[in-house]
Amino acid sequence: MRFSFVFSEMGIAIKRNLSMVISVILVTFISLTFVGTAGLLQQQIGSMKTYWYDKAQVAIYLCTKTSPAEICPQGEASKDVQVTVTERLKSTTLAPYIDKYYFENHAQAYKTFQKEFKDNSVAKYVTPEQLNETFWVNLKDPNQAPIIIESFNGLSGVEEVKDQRTYLDQIFSILNIASLAALSIAALMLFSAVLLISTTIRLSAVMRRREIGIMRLVGASNFYIQLPFILEGVVAGVIGSLLAGGAILGIVQVFVQGFLAKQLPFTSFVGIPDALALLPLLVLAGGGLAAIAAAAAIRRYLRV
Amino acid sequence: MISISQVSKQYKGAPRAALEGISLEIDKGEFVFLVGASGSGKSSLMRMILREDIPSSGSIHVLGENLIGIPNRRVPHFRRKLGVVFQDFRLLPNKTAAQNVAFSLEVIGKSKGFIAEAVPDVLRLVGLEDKANSLPSELSGGEQQRIALARAIVNKPAILLADEPTGNLDPATSMDIMALLDRINLSGTTIVMATHDRGIVDRGQKRVIELSQGKIIRDARGASYGESE
Repeated sequence: MRFSFVFSEMGIAIKRNLSMVISVILVTFISLTFVGTAGLLQQQIGSMKTYWYDKAQVAIYLCTKTSPAEICPQGEASKDVQVTVTERLKSTTLAPYIDKYYFENHAQAYKTFQKEFKDNSVAKYVTPEQLNETFWVNLKDPNQAPIIIESFNGLSGVEEVKDQRTYLDQIFSILNIASLAALSIAALMLFSAVLLISTTIRLSAVMRRREIGIMRLVGASNFYIQLPFILEGVVAGVIGSLLAGGAILGIVQVFVQGFLAKQLPFTSFVGIPDALALLPLLVLAGGGLAAIAAAAAIRRYLRV
Repeated sequence: MISISQVSKQYKGAPRAALEGISLEIDKGEFVFLVGASGSGKSSLMRMILREDIPSSGSIHVLGENLIGIPNRRVPHFRRKLGVVFQDFRLLPNKTAAQNVAFSLEVIGKSKGFIAEAVPDVLRLVGLEDKANSLPSELSGGEQQRIALARAIVNKPAILLADEPTGNLDPATSMDIMALLDRINLSGTTIVMATHDRGIVDRGQKRVIELSQGKIIRDARGASYGESE
């Protein structure tokens, strides 16, 4: 086995077939960029879920003067309502599920509101009385929010019980759809990459049929004949996947860390280490796919 | 060396069998002319001996290998023990004479050192050591065929198959090639040569196997081309 010879044969094959090889590189590059983006997006969703779900609370909003009459016929919730809610939260049926809870009165709610909507003109028109007094409940397991909702929904003096995760779920479902879209584009592109690789390899084999004929006549082993073609595909696939890796590092560095992370400072975003961890997987996928496609193509073309 | 028994080959869609009940034995060191009209089955028979094709029925043994049962992965190793030349030389146009010969050794994994010794030796044997660095396009037909011969014998095959090796050459050049084949034969290599060239066969007075419509119609030693055609 002489590898220098195999590699020089591969080099000749690539040179002769350069435009096809470049197209293989580009298609693998783009498809794997989509794969990588989808992977990072999933990681992002995962880390945001654990971060936000832990912080997500169940809010028990008490009635205010301005609450709709059909839900709060008696208007502003009385002190009794607060006592009832507190008792229920402390009761043996609910206490085991609850990590901690606290009460926010009108004044505190107003303060929080003013802080959160500092730059918004709505802050000027809101009065403390319009804002609900609220019990904020942190659960030991955020998945058990329905238990709290069941217990307090419909209780007189309670306007609404809301699991904050329902807001998050909307965001996550949008992100999920985006990553699924990226994955489906990637699947289509990868499929065309596989077809392109097999066409390229077959074309390369046709261009070198004289050599192949002579190699078969003098008794070169199939492996020796096929290897340069398979390597041709693998080299193109690996170059494409390295480019995809570079693109993903670039996206993370410039867009995510450079832009998003500065815009939303309290959110943890995927970083360079996540992208670096993805890189070997991309190279493996690109090289492996190319090797399989090229081997299948050349095997069908070259029978003994 | 070559033992063929009751070999028939029927190609799909062909009106008649390409080979029909062929049986023959060729011993070590023999020089055999395979003659017959186009389509008589000479090339099919050569392909069977090279294991480029498998007969529909019958058995072929070449150099101790049963070519019907040999697994595909052993075929390349089997072919290394055979040399082949063709009417159209089949040289690589972008490689020099020496590179063409070296190529056949490189692809079977011979070492650089071995190639550096074997290639000049064999070029000397065919009388083209001074043309080592010429491209095929710079060589005459006879010279190209000698390079092809050099390539076929550089690995010291036990059998040399020659499919109309003089078919594209003028009579004088053909004589040179025949002289070279005779020398290769004298060194112990068995030669099977398919040819249409009546003059060469008549001068050779060697064993002649004549095929017609896929059947052997004559197998005679020290014979001439024959009356047919």
